[in-house]
Amino acid sequence: MAPTADQIELLQGTLDMLILKTLLFGPAHGHGIAKHIQHSTRDVLVVEHGSLYPALHRLERSGWIASRWQTAPGRAREFKFYRLTAAGRRQLRAQESRWDALVRAIGRVMQPAPEM
Amino acid sequence: MRPPFGSPPSPGDDDIRRELADHLELEAEDIAHDRPGTSAEAAAFAARRRFGNPTLVAETMRAVWHPVWLEQLAQDLKHGLRGLLRSPAYAITATITLALGIGASTAVFSFGDHVLARPFPLMPQDALVWVVQRSPRQCPACDNASAAAFEALAQRSKTLSAVGAAQLWRATLNGRPDAPSDLVLGYRITPNLMSLASVPFSLGGGFTADAGTPGRNGVAILSYAFWRDRFNGSRGVLDSTIMLDGAPRRVVGVLANGVAFPEAVDFYTPLVLTASDFNDHVSRYLDIFGRLAPGANVAQAQREAARVSAQMASESPKTDAGWVLVPRPLKEFHSDDVAILVRIVGLAVALVLIAACVSVANLALARTSARRREMALRAALGGRRGRLARHLLAEALLVSLAGAALGIGFAAWGIRTAAGIIPPSMTRYAPGFAFIRVDGRALAFTFALCVVVTLIFALAPALRAVRTPLSAVLAGGGRGATGDAYGTRLRSALVVVEVSVALIVLTAAALLTRSAHHLLTADPGVRLDHALTMQLALPRGTSDSSARAFVQRLDTRLRDVPGVLAAGVVTTTPLSNNWWGTIFSVPGRPPHPDGSPLNANDQRISADYFRAMDIRILSGRGIDAGDRADTTAERVAVINHHMAAQVWPNGDPLGQTIVIDSVPWTIVGVSADVHHGGLDEPVRNEIYRAAVQAPSTAMDLDVWTSGDPTAMREPIRVAVAAVDPRAAVGNMMTMREMDARHVSPFWLVADIVNTFAIIVVLIAVVGLYGVIAYGVAQRRRELAVRMALGATRRDIVTYVAGGALRLTAVDLLIGGAGAVAFSRLLQAVLYGVGAGDYRTLLAVTALLLVASVAAALIPCWRAARVHPARSLAE
Repeated sequence: MAPTADQIELLQGTLDMLILKTLLFGPAHGHGIAKHIQHSTRDVLVVEHGSLYPALHRLERSGWIASRWQTAPGRAREFKFYRLTAAGRRQLRAQESRWDALVRAIGRVMQPAPEM
Repeated sequence: MRPPFGSPPSPGDDDIRRELADHLELEAEDIAHDRPGTSAEAAAFAARRRFGNPTLVAETMRAVWHPVWLEQLAQDLKHGLRGLLRSPAYAITATITLALGIGASTAVFSFGDHVLARPFPLMPQDALVWVVQRSPRQCPACDNASAAAFEALAQRSKTLSAVGAAQLWRATLNGRPDAPSDLVLGYRITPNLMSLASVPFSLGGGFTADAGTPGRNGVAILSYAFWRDRFNGSRGVLDSTIMLDGAPRRVVGVLANGVAFPEAVDFYTPLVLTASDFNDHVSRYLDIFGRLAPGANVAQAQREAARVSAQMASESPKTDAGWVLVPRPLKEFHSDDVAILVRIVGLAVALVLIAACVSVANLALARTSARRREMALRAALGGRRGRLARHLLAEALLVSLAGAALGIGFAAWGIRTAAGIIPPSMTRYAPGFAFIRVDGRALAFTFALCVVVTLIFALAPALRAVRTPLSAVLAGGGRGATGDAYGTRLRSALVVVEVSVALIVLTAAALLTRSAHHLLTADPGVRLDHALTMQLALPRGTSDSSARAFVQRLDTRLRDVPGVLAAGVVTTTPLSNNWWGTIFSVPGRPPHPDGSPLNANDQRISADYFRAMDIRILSGRGIDAGDRADTTAERVAVINHHMAAQVWPNGDPLGQTIVIDSVPWTIVGVSADVHHGGLDEPVRNEIYRAAVQAPSTAMDLDVWTSGDPTAMREPIRVAVAAVDPRAAVGNMMTMREMDARHVSPFWLVADIVNTFAIIVVLIAVVGLYGVIAYGVAQRRRELAVRMALGATRRDIVTYVAGGALRLTAVDLLIGGAGAVAFSRLLQAVLYGVGAGDYRTLLAVTALLLVASVAAALIPCWRAARVHPARSLAE
């Protein structure tokens, strides 16, 4: 799915952070996570749904999230739900602070403070 | 960052499939909800589009959990096997072709490995050296060293932890007093030689350190084969006594089976070296062996030996100036003679392997072309291109593994067959021969070869499969009118390689065969049929007068043996590879300009020798019964044609005098030249004298028989024993057998290369047929169009055959150049035929041309039968 003019392709490596951040609000299944990222960015960020799942499994293998098949609210059958682990929380904090540093650094380059 | 408590269990395939299906289902629901009125199919389709390729995603997910390559390798191999089973013709052809190439390579590797690289498998051969003493000016190819040099090296060398010496010794073995003696071959060795070379024993052990002193040397070691054949492998042989040259020797040990060090002999006795020997700098008669000190290498030993040689040269400049000691790896002790033959065979087999690889690459390419649509479709359906290429590689690997398995069988069979053909005269000098088999090293080599082969023949098709643009294949819905031009070009190029290689190997085979044939039919200058030769030895210490009497009585006796037409003794028999050198001078002439004296092969013969061996007298007379021993008789000599031309290039040698050991000998005749080494070796000066005038205790007896010479073995043995029971007889063989010793290695190589030539020609013809037939099949539409536009069958055949001939012409040009280059290498072993022999090259080229035409015939015929309307409608 090619991004349209007002959409932005996801930065390399930020998908992990977005997933962890999404799971901070509680367990969710893959589709739910995809919807959440899309809605909360007002459809600006393009996440090809297919790329979400390998990322989820990578995070699970790293021990930052855990998965379980459980019945979804209002549904009669089980879906695979992911939740954040303690290690995942620590990882999210580390990634967030790195992200902030990155954003500040890029901001300084793009919009330098006016000279006194 | 590492996970805290190991990895969670990996999800199964079902798990992954379900998760993705759930996603697509939920997404489709959402879409249907957002856009009311959308059909279920349209919603599912939109969800899929948003998702990407589920197959790829699932594969990537699995890859998160598993080392993908392992799983995929198994899968690739499974797919590969399935693919191969679907096209058994390809699988079988490719497997057999590779098996021929790999099998031949493995067999040749085993030979080379055992004969050249590890000829002494039971000893630490890498730590052992043999030391030659040679003078670049006086004797550049000499091997033997003086006792003085041995002493100097043993005392001064630090890179060699031990130095030993050996001297070949032909002795008589006397079993019982009433039985005739036998001639046996042994080595006198320094007592340390067996231990320094770590030679294994099957009974007893080596000599004690004091065995080299006079009085303590009455001991002997037996070789395994000698012990088995002569003593029936009895353990009682230890401490028993054998009589060698009339002296008792106590047996102290029997070597292990398979030891042939430095070459295969019957026994070993201690070499006694005294102070006077060590002062002798001139007689160079010892084979020196050394063991490298721990950490030392051959190069260091060579530098040190050069220093020792320089010291010796400054200490005794008269005798040692210009002479250097050169340590060489022990494995080179026998290899000089065999190396060039092994190298030729090695090169030929490399060409066979290349031809096999190229041929299979060609088959694989044809197959890939046929599978282009399959490949393109699989790529379109989400198969990754790298993955597709790996399928092809896996298939290729399976084929080459099957080829290798079959090839090892071929190799084992080939080695057994060859081992049966190789004459003992060859194996004796290459002890590794006894150990040749497909062993671990050969298997490792084969496996490595297999991988290389796979890469070579599978890479081109694999890359092509990856690069083929989908649209090109799918758009046309089939083959275009002109077919796959690139594929055809590539296949033509491969066929050029096949045919060129065939031409090269075929030329080499033809040259080697002609050379071997020349060797076999060439006139060596002596009688080969109805001739028997043997060695005789009288006990050591036999006086000149006894030796003279022996020869006279033997002559008389043999004249009365029925079946003997003529018999004569001689010092060394022609073609025996033996010489007995003597120095002579010509009165009134300065020695040779560069200071080295004139020398010749010294032959002491009886009166009937020339007649027995059919050696012609060119001028003057031969030695006859009138040349008697008594002092009143003139001392006479006959020289060979070569010597006459060398020493008296402008004059008549008859009546001239030569001086040997201060005695003048008058030349009374000139004989024709005979060969003493192989026919390919140069003729040397030769002087014949009457054995009664110049007696010797060691001689050969050559007999011209009226019937089958082998039937005369016993009668002659009996006659010799009747003349003197102490005379030993050994090495009886017919002159044909003697001749075969020189020819058979060349026949062997010619046979091997001929086999290779047949293989590569078959491969080339099949390849040529394949590419022409493929071209015709690809161009059916084109041919049909031509025919529809009025081309006759004759035009079509001319067109197709013209293409085939152009291809063949390129092949033969390139192959011809390669053949000429390869023949240069053969020059050293060719006899009676030049490397650039144009007749051979023309004949071989014509043969391949005929084969090429034959290969083109069927495709041409098919092309002529193309039905325009039907082919265009396809």
